[in-house]
Amino acid sequence: MKQSCKTVTLACVQQVFNAEFQNLFSTSAPTSVRLLAVLKARPAVIMSSSLLAVSKQKLALRVSQTSVRYIGRQESGGDPKNDIIRRALYPSNIRNRPSPVGSWRPDVGRRLQRAIPSVQAHETIERAWFLHQRHVRRARASELQRKFESVRNAMETLRLVAPDLYVEANKEEDPRARSPAETDLLKKLKGPEKKAVEARIRGLFPRELRTPTDTPPRNGWTYDFTPIVRPS
Amino acid sequence: MLALRRLPRYATRLTHVRGNSTLEAASAQASAPSPPPVTAKTATPPPAQEAASEEPTEPITQTEQTKGKQRKWPTRRPSISLERPREWSRPIAKGVEPAYDYALRYILRDAQFVRKELEELQAKVQAEEAKPEGERDVAALEQLREKMRILEIQSEVNLPDVRWKARNGMADFSKPIYRHLVEQRWREEGDLDLLMERIYQMKVVPDLLPELHPSFDLRIRYLEPPPKNNYLRTRVKRKLRQVEPGIFLLPEQTRRPPEIYTTLFHTDTRLYTLLMVDLDVPNPDTQSFTTYLHWMQPNIPLSAFTTSPTVPLQAHTPYVPPHPHRNTPYHRYVLLVLPQASASEPIDVPVLQESDRLGFDFRVFAAQYGFDGARGGGAHMWREVWDETVSHIYKFTLKQEEPRFGKMPKPDPYAELKSKKKYL
Repeated sequence: MKQSCKTVTLACVQQVFNAEFQNLFSTSAPTSVRLLAVLKARPAVIMSSSLLAVSKQKLALRVSQTSVRYIGRQESGGDPKNDIIRRALYPSNIRNRPSPVGSWRPDVGRRLQRAIPSVQAHETIERAWFLHQRHVRRARASELQRKFESVRNAMETLRLVAPDLYVEANKEEDPRARSPAETDLLKKLKGPEKKAVEARIRGLFPRELRTPTDTPPRNGWTYDFTPIVRPS
Repeated sequence: MLALRRLPRYATRLTHVRGNSTLEAASAQASAPSPPPVTAKTATPPPAQEAASEEPTEPITQTEQTKGKQRKWPTRRPSISLERPREWSRPIAKGVEPAYDYALRYILRDAQFVRKELEELQAKVQAEEAKPEGERDVAALEQLREKMRILEIQSEVNLPDVRWKARNGMADFSKPIYRHLVEQRWREEGDLDLLMERIYQMKVVPDLLPELHPSFDLRIRYLEPPPKNNYLRTRVKRKLRQVEPGIFLLPEQTRRPPEIYTTLFHTDTRLYTLLMVDLDVPNPDTQSFTTYLHWMQPNIPLSAFTTSPTVPLQAHTPYVPPHPHRNTPYHRYVLLVLPQASASEPIDVPVLQESDRLGFDFRVFAAQYGFDGARGGGAHMWREVWDETVSHIYKFTLKQEEPRFGKMPKPDPYAELKSKKKYL
């Protein structure tokens, strides 16, 4: 008996079972075992009804449901004013398909249950993650502290050994300062080259970076770009 | 517990489909929604079908359910305690969630490291203590002890079995970690917030005492209200029910003194004083309100190991049931358990007579005996309104004339006009 059941119904499964395999299996075997035999023998039969029901069931995650349901359909013809008022006062609260904007999805409950099977497990994972983050933060902070201490000790030693070098080392450098060679170069440069030299300040955001846009530049990518070397 | 396994692609058996069921019954069973997700509060496994939501099932199974009277069985928490403990087991099986397995291993490893550090610190503290009095560095020792306290908690606070036990009635208060977890729960998960909200909203804080910062969880139980069915009023034994701070109680619920349960977080025994005050007794002389002391019991020893006071509480100023007066607004009743100035020295408070109860000034009393709400303690409050039971209380318990309050009669502006003739 050929049955091309693309979508399975209870009747379909029962027909298959009754027609072909009844004499092969004893009645004492549980129904589920018989189902398994059916499924194994007929790969076209996708799922048993009980499995379908499980996959279709909406897991109740204590969603409050009103007793009155409003449909959101538009009344054809006539005055749209009353329709608009009705839709504003009584918005559609029938949840049978995901909303277009994604603000409501029917499978959230099932997906949440799958992602977080147990609150205790979730809490344990969260605590372990925060603990890990704490260790990383601590390690980073202590490493930084160690480096700082070692530089401070080095500076202290320098102060005792060579005070004038210590004064030199302690001077704060102005990253925007320009050497005379650089100012001379700037007078000669023009256009984008000048911009490139002016833009790059040590320690600051490179101003010549192209602002990210949705679309690529009209002129495309500059394959033969050569950076300007600053003199200092 | 909602323990899910990764099901194979074609599952032969589902957890809620029994082997001998028919296809119809299986589909009906499967369409019934699964049990609600486990919350942190009810981590114990719920009974199979009782905890499942009561949404209507298929018509096929409805007939079986409507057999017999549909009785509502009140759900009860299983009686788990340290005497009848339960063992912790993993919420999900190995392999279901690899992140969970790794998290568990990570936590256990970290707990091991912290425990080792704690042991080293303990050795250091012992070595320091072993030195004679003069050589000890007291400040360093105090610092080491403080660090030890922190490490004791850090070594166990992430362990899932410890956290589960603390949440499910198996907190051993001799261990600091359980005291810490229970206190954290009381302070941060809403109980203290609710109490303080009611206390501030009902203006207990400025009216009775200037500052109140509770340091332990005080819970009381009074009788439950009478059943709605009048026939059952005298035929049903009333049980005790926990009182939420700020709710309205009936005078008949508060005829007898409440049961007091305390959850303190210090292991040493300290002395506390219990007081119950009515804040809204009308005072016609001042056209305002005064206070009335309903109950006082000083020198109650309490610690983390006392779940309720062990000494008799009616030995000092016995309990007088609340009696809100007729035609007055609701009365606020505040129950305070405050620490005494000295933790071990009992105080000698003279027993208050009936005349001293009315107009009891708490601020004067606190200044005299060194009570301060800012130093800790426990508090509770509720409200009551006049009922016919109050007349009963006045007649049989207080044996006094029941006062009736009301507004002064308004002078009639037309009294003179009424006496004259209108038409000549």
